Amino acid sequence: MDANEIMVIAMFLSFIALLFTGIPVAWVLGGVGIIFAFIGQFADANLDTMTGLDYTTLGLVVNRLWKIMDNWILVALPMFIFMGIMLDKSGVAEKLMHSMQELFGRVRGGLAVTVTAIGIILAASTGIIGASVVLLAVMSLPSMTKQGYSMPLALGTIASAGTLGILIPPSIMLVIMADQLGLSVGDLFMGAVFPGLMLGGMYITYILIYSYVKPNAAPVPEDAKAVTWPVVANVLKAVLPTLLLIFVVLGSIFGGFATPTEASGVGAMGATLLAIYNRRFSIPVLREVMGGTLNTTAYIFAIFIGATCFALVLRELGGDELIESFLTGLPFGPYGIIFFILGVIFLLGFFLDWIEITLIILPLLAPVISALGLDINGYGVVDNPELVWFVMLVAMALQTSFLTPPVGFALFYLKGVCPPNVKLKDIYKGVLPFIGLQLIALFILVFWPQLVLWLPAIAYAK
Amino acid sequence: ADKMLLKTPIAFGSHLPALGTPIVWVADQLKLVTDGKMKMKIYEPGKLVSPPEILDAVSSGKVNSGYATAGYWQGKMPAAAIFSAVPFGPEAGEYMAWMYYGNGLKLYQEMYDTSGFNVKVIPCAIISPETSGWFNKEINTPDDLKGLNMRFFGLGASVMEKMGVSTSQLPGGEIFGALEKGAIDASEFSQPAIDQRLGFHKIMKYNYFPGWHQQATIFELLVNKDAWGKMSAGQQATVENTCKASMTNAIAEGEAMQFPVMAKAKENGVEIRYWNDTMLAAFEEKWGEVVDEKSAADPFFKKVWDDLDTFRTGYNLWESNAFLPRSR
Amino acid sequence: MTENDTLPSVPLADKIDRFIQRIGMSVAWCYVLLVLVIILQVVLRKGFSNGLIVLEELQWHLYAVGVMFGLSYAQTTNSHIRVDLFYSHFRARTKHIIEILGILILVLPFIFIIFAHSLDFFYDSYRIGESSQSPSGLPYRWVIKGVIPVSFALLGLAVLSRLYRDIVLLIRGE
Ligand code: NA
Ligand code: NA
Repeated sequence: MDANEIMVIAMFLSFIALLFTGIPVAWVLGGVGIIFAFIGQFADANLDTMTGLDYTTLGLVVNRLWKIMDNWILVALPMFIFMGIMLDKSGVAEKLMHSMQELFGRVRGGLAVTVTAIGIILAASTGIIGASVVLLAVMSLPSMTKQGYSMPLALGTIASAGTLGILIPPSIMLVIMADQLGLSVGDLFMGAVFPGLMLGGMYITYILIYSYVKPNAAPVPEDAKAVTWPVVANVLKAVLPTLLLIFVVLGSIFGGFATPTEASGVGAMGATLLAIYNRRFSIPVLREVMGGTLNTTAYIFAIFIGATCFALVLRELGGDELIESFLTGLPFGPYGIIFFILGVIFLLGFFLDWIEITLIILPLLAPVISALGLDINGYGVVDNPELVWFVMLVAMALQTSFLTPPVGFALFYLKGVCPPNVKLKDIYKGVLPFIGLQLIALFILVFWPQLVLWLPAIAYAK
Repeated sequence: ADKMLLKTPIAFGSHLPALGTPIVWVADQLKLVTDGKMKMKIYEPGKLVSPPEILDAVSSGKVNSGYATAGYWQGKMPAAAIFSAVPFGPEAGEYMAWMYYGNGLKLYQEMYDTSGFNVKVIPCAIISPETSGWFNKEINTPDDLKGLNMRFFGLGASVMEKMGVSTSQLPGGEIFGALEKGAIDASEFSQPAIDQRLGFHKIMKYNYFPGWHQQATIFELLVNKDAWGKMSAGQQATVENTCKASMTNAIAEGEAMQFPVMAKAKENGVEIRYWNDTMLAAFEEKWGEVVDEKSAADPFFKKVWDDLDTFRTGYNLWESNAFLPRSR
Repeated sequence: MTENDTLPSVPLADKIDRFIQRIGMSVAWCYVLLVLVIILQVVLRKGFSNGLIVLEELQWHLYAVGVMFGLSYAQTTNSHIRVDLFYSHFRARTKHIIEILGILILVLPFIFIIFAHSLDFFYDSYRIGESSQSPSGLPYRWVIKGVIPVSFALLGLAVLSRLYRDIVLLIRGE
């Protein structure tokens, strides 16, 4: 093993070890980055390495931080958080949750199914996990706790539903992948629709079955009534304003009135109007929402900032090359190679976030996949069908990385908004079955590529 | 040192034909020509640093070199746009003539020096015209443009705004979604071979030419001046001449790859249109206004513009007589 | 929002934290402003076919201000996310020691590197009077770049306040 490889591995191990001391994740990422930059400089001077790291090079962190600041797409994050906290503080969220439970009558798991359904809707309006997870959590966790849901089920539902946004379009991940591989964004967006919906459907099925088998995990309220038409009518009346809000947000995107980024601002405004309509709006409430948005947005971005420092140094130390060497010269058949690659991506997802994995390995893998000579049917409409399909497999595998401990960003975001008595361990326990479901979905996609390719072929046929 | 590693972040993905491929060619050639004594390690956009930050990173020595186009720095130095692509400006041959045998290159370096950037600039690729954009309706008169929301970049955007278009500057990956959802009505991006990768031909009906806003685009290799000073004369000449060879390579590649893509787009029902004389005259008139404003606002812009203008006035005697008219 | 596990009071640190929180709450209005700017942009563009690049850029300016000044605010509310798998079982004394070492070895160097380099980054922009790359964008880009050193100085102050608090509590034995 050469000095570069040792440094890369040492950097990872220090990161994981320090994470468990309980020092904030953001600062561990940033601090380990800085320390290993100087270790790299030392190695350049004393060992046969060429990392080029030193105090001057570390200045790149500021350039990278600046690119987080001038990123127009990320504007949606505080806006959706604003919207979520406003819905919570104004009581709109609780009312919505209560009404939806009534709609499920005596069927168990109604709230969790509602959360997943809202997660799917949110996913169609943003691709930003932090925003979805926080919004879902502040909206639904109080209600689920009150109704006596088991913590792991509630937390797992929120975390997994919140991560759907990275798959269901619009998705920043698919945009970056399209850019990296020179694929059409439209093909990828259309290709992700069925896999995303399928995954959401699997979550819902699981929740219903689990709640049926384990009634204590998802109790129904004592006074639950059978669903009758008057109940449905009442519920509809109660949730009408909220449904209207959702329609306005989604409608503004699909109607072409607003970009997804702008739609987030429309949503924040809508939530404020709902609060005013419900006579729950006041300056103290607004200040609470502002403060909450400031705080929540900041701890999410602190992780982004720490991670950008960590990634820079990891890359300069030769982390990319180490991962590349894992993936070259594989002695398997075509499907063996695909499973091996997906396996490596899944494992990398335990420690790295999707953007790092995407930047490192996607360009590397595209020629490998094209050379496999797989006969994937693009109906003569989709260009590079085998790549579109493969990218979707990678996307599905990467979505898991948000949920897998120890470094799962959805878990961190969720932890941030939970009451202090909720421990990370509960969240880890909660997401486990959902990770399993994702792996099943991944298998299904491997063997039924048409789930990915049929829709783009139909949508863009001339 | 007789060994040299240029760490080079780049502004366009190396898979993008003409925008990104030339610098890969340069890296390969540098290694070959020097028997491996000089190497260039390319970092894809965003890996170390994102494209708009390349100038700062090179100038401050955070990396020793970078590959971009000067148009990215027009917020820092308005004249930078003139060294990247000029609306109604020179085609590749004339552009290179001004650059190498006029005052172009001298002014180019002077711009960085007087603005206090610690970089050596070397033109390192040049590519053929871009398209004027993708529309869903025919544009026959300036009135047809009024009220459109269009993605447009750089100096051309100022012209479009004067035509009554409201412009935005979405990044490449965002454009398709915005067009499809109708958040914008039209867009320009790059050459046919690049636009094709973004899939515009799947949803837009009319592709307009000529790219009046970008007849030729120059790309630059920036080298940190301290790093440049440490290189031997032979190493410096190697880098400069490899880049000069890259200009030939890039224009040849760019010229070769557009027509098959256009033919395929046509097959798929895209209508290829050429701006009528009214439209071209209108664009040019507005461009004149933009130049006047820019010249009034920034003395160095005026200095460079006047120099280029003088050169082009002289060149015109040759150009109008030497070349055959183009058939359409 | 969650109530974070509040640490015992240490007068000087409390005072610094309150100061930072007051700044944070004033800055938080930028999010309200952001909502209004977005609505204005949508209305202008779709209603009057007159979207403005200035408004587009103003959006990320406001967002960036909120994000950067939020960092120190979240530090004073102890909101930065921790992996609490073992941490939650540690004794108070152990937690203080970890916090002190973490701040000295990891946090302060990280903040210092960003702060020091951001001064040059800001100054270069100021020196050449940088404005938006877009001809019709916002001028004075150095103002928003200046947010980096200022907000990181505040974050540094918040971290020092926390360091002081932990040292005092460790000595007091709380
Ligand atoms: Na999404
Ligand atoms: Na993970």
